[in-house]
Amino acid sequence: MSTTTVDHPSVPGPGAPDAPGATAAAAPRAASLGGAWRRFLLRRAGGLVVNLALLVLVTFLIVQLIPGDPATAIAGDTASLAQVELVRHQLGLDQPLPVQLWHYVAGVVQGDFGDSYKYRAPAMDIVMTAVPYTLTITIVAVLLLLVLGLALGMTVGVLTRGDRHRWLDVTFTAVTGLISSIPTYVLATGFVVVFAVLLHVLPPAYSPAYDFGAAAVLPIASLTVGGTCSVARIVRRETAVILEQDYMRTARGWRLPALSIYAKHMLPNLLTTALTLSGIILTALLGSALITEAVFAWPGLGGVIVQAIAVDKDYPVIRAAVFVIGLISLVITLVIDIILGLIDPRTLGEKRG
Amino acid sequence: MADTITAVRAATVDRPARPRAFAWNAGLVVGLAMFGLILVVAVVAPFVLGSQATGIGGTAGLGSTAEHPLGTDTLGRDMLARTLVATRATVLMALAATALSAVVGIALGIGVWLAPRRLREFGLRAIEFAVSYPTMLVAIIVAAILGQGMVQVVVAIAVANIAGFARLTANLAAKISTSEYVTTARLMGVPAHRVAVRHVLPNMAEPTLILIAGAFSGALVEISGLSFIGLGAQTPAFDWGTLLNDGLDRIVVNPVVIVGPAVALTFASLAALLVGDGLAAAANPRSNTTRARTTRAAGAPMLAVEEDAVLVADGISVRHGASGRPLVDDVSFTIRRGEVLGIVGESGSGKSLTASVVAKLLGEGLEASARRLELGGVDLLGRVPDRVLASRIGLVYQDPGTALNPAMVLGIQLSDVLRMRLRHSRRDALRLLTQGFRAVKLTDPEGRLRQYPHQLSGGMKQRAMIASAMSTKPDLLIADEPTTALDVTVQREVLTVLKRMNEESGTAVLFISHDLGVVRALCDRVLVMRNGAIVERIDDVAGLSPETVDHPYTKQLLAATPVVTVPSEQTEAHA
Repeated sequence: MSTTTVDHPSVPGPGAPDAPGATAAAAPRAASLGGAWRRFLLRRAGGLVVNLALLVLVTFLIVQLIPGDPATAIAGDTASLAQVELVRHQLGLDQPLPVQLWHYVAGVVQGDFGDSYKYRAPAMDIVMTAVPYTLTITIVAVLLLLVLGLALGMTVGVLTRGDRHRWLDVTFTAVTGLISSIPTYVLATGFVVVFAVLLHVLPPAYSPAYDFGAAAVLPIASLTVGGTCSVARIVRRETAVILEQDYMRTARGWRLPALSIYAKHMLPNLLTTALTLSGIILTALLGSALITEAVFAWPGLGGVIVQAIAVDKDYPVIRAAVFVIGLISLVITLVIDIILGLIDPRTLGEKRG
Repeated sequence: MADTITAVRAATVDRPARPRAFAWNAGLVVGLAMFGLILVVAVVAPFVLGSQATGIGGTAGLGSTAEHPLGTDTLGRDMLARTLVATRATVLMALAATALSAVVGIALGIGVWLAPRRLREFGLRAIEFAVSYPTMLVAIIVAAILGQGMVQVVVAIAVANIAGFARLTANLAAKISTSEYVTTARLMGVPAHRVAVRHVLPNMAEPTLILIAGAFSGALVEISGLSFIGLGAQTPAFDWGTLLNDGLDRIVVNPVVIVGPAVALTFASLAALLVGDGLAAAANPRSNTTRARTTRAAGAPMLAVEEDAVLVADGISVRHGASGRPLVDDVSFTIRRGEVLGIVGESGSGKSLTASVVAKLLGEGLEASARRLELGGVDLLGRVPDRVLASRIGLVYQDPGTALNPAMVLGIQLSDVLRMRLRHSRRDALRLLTQGFRAVKLTDPEGRLRQYPHQLSGGMKQRAMIASAMSTKPDLLIADEPTTALDVTVQREVLTVLKRMNEESGTAVLFISHDLGVVRALCDRVLVMRNGAIVERIDDVAGLSPETVDHPYTKQLLAATPVVTVPSEQTEAHA
């Protein structure tokens, strides 16, 4: 792990307010984190620009990389020559590649991915209608699974430290292992059977006729349960490692109360790991959500993109959807790294993103 | 990283010196058995049940019956047979995707690692970028380009997982090739291909196998997921994902039809998880430990105790709980008020264990006993309130780099004991700590409160640690190798601070070190320990010479140490 160690306190960071002349005369001062934050934000802003450019390029290439003649493939086997040529013209495939890219980039900058073939409306509008549905269940699920997973993993980790409560260790490992093995969409299907078909307590699928909150319970639950178990397993193992660290022995040496030792001295270190992981979990969860939405006929991005790929060959919508999903994961990664930096400034120096 | 640390610990603590054996465990065996079963079904089922699974003509839409325990689908085909037959397609697709991503990813990783520096750094950045993309998004992009179908989803998932393998390979190769054992082998002139075969590859095998198990489980779930939403297997081909999707349409009428594919998917995913976890556990076996305890030994105290003794330790013994192996044997000493007692010895001599018994911080798995153990009249063998321990014993540890919590600013972590245990207000605690910082000559004491440990140098951290330990005005300061992790000039400055704190406050110090030179410069009396016992007691440190000591080990130590002097306060101030 690379760190920004400030070896000489007498050299203030670039963020220090001292004028160059005053620095030499001033007494050694404790360095502040201003410089580290500035470098971090600059580097991440640069990374974001590069990633966005790559995302634009990738979405551009989705059409160009279609094997054979993209226009024929998109128009379908039964299309007439005129229809193929229309598609070719609409996508600009009849122009040289640099011109295509230029037109595409010029459009994307204005949020214009072209019109959907099927709906005859801007592709971006169709995608943006679906985004709130996907984000709602994903964000609620991530918050829930982080809080529950941390609490569960920490509790079990502390209870089983140094091989205490062997039975709890075994039960926890078995149960969480089993539950986290169930694919999210299988769990979702099971939930529908139990809570909608057999017990009739919750709606089986989304429909404007049902209360939004009630309809969202099962999608969120199916996204949360498995993730909670995965997070809890990781947090438990990490807890065991942190409890062995010298600084935890130091805290015990100060004879601090248990609550302070675990909540104040252990938790921040645990959060660093948990959040690093949660970035990965969150982007993975976004993928699971796309599939799980199918179980509940949830009107989110998953349905839009699957319909566009499998049924309509609606490439403007595919491009817009992929761009938006990519953008969401970029933003998530950035937000998590900023939170990480607030919790543990050592991570600011890390070369990531 | 987590597993490595555990492994290193397990390897260093109470382990006979022999090569690490592969430890089979129940999870791994069960997982492999489950996986074997899946493979058998994948091979056999299509031959035996093929006609039942695809033959049309049975009663459609049956629930669970004796003949069709999992019901029949809309075309009257037995769901149990269809689930079992679908095993082959599902497992083959997952295996193909895993193999493809592993081969390409490992090749890319090795290629990046072998590439010239510029290209390597660019390659590593590109891999990082690819890894940060959600697998499902990459798969969807590939599906959008290639269209839907079995081959297409295999390629999609394979492409999505390549980056993970490439990153692991590049990281492992970089880590192992710069590791000490590979450097040593190179320096000894071992040919490059032998280094690769004997050292690099075996050490890459374990993590790679674990990743393969994880990737297989992921590929199985993701491919079935893509089939489930209609991007994978197309009719008449079928896998578990399409079966589940077919069942979903009929879920309200005939929910039993989803049982087959749901159980099959979970079973296969669980098998992969058990194998992965089992491999990880086999690579890093955990040792059993018991809770630490300190008991009162039988027999009357034998030690003559001075009037002004702060600490009385009579007959401290420590043994390893599980094996009963003695680690410290009958160590007795006293420390008078204002006195600095040194304990010297090589690693494993039991000096730190002795200190941890006195501090009541004995490690897990150890059992200690003593005939008498008192600090300022408080019996440490009984139950002592934490508040009393916190105020009477101050502790300074070997490595200030690890002893301070990296995620907390100094002001909060170092003042916790004052607030929690000595009931000071937040403001008082911080004021006391600032005074302490000033006393150990830390520059800008108020600013230090807001800093994280990584912003300070090693010597500054250790001085902050001493300030915190002294902030409770303890009767006894236990310093366990406080200068070992520091370089020589910083050692001197820390020793000076310790000496001054001792002189100004009259706090007794128990100073542990392996370095007789350092101990000699600081301590009033010295105990020499070896193999868990005291072999020499030196009362006249000033007149110490090879002639004044009896034990050959002490003579050896003495011959091997240069003389270190701690400069007085005046010379330090001018320096």
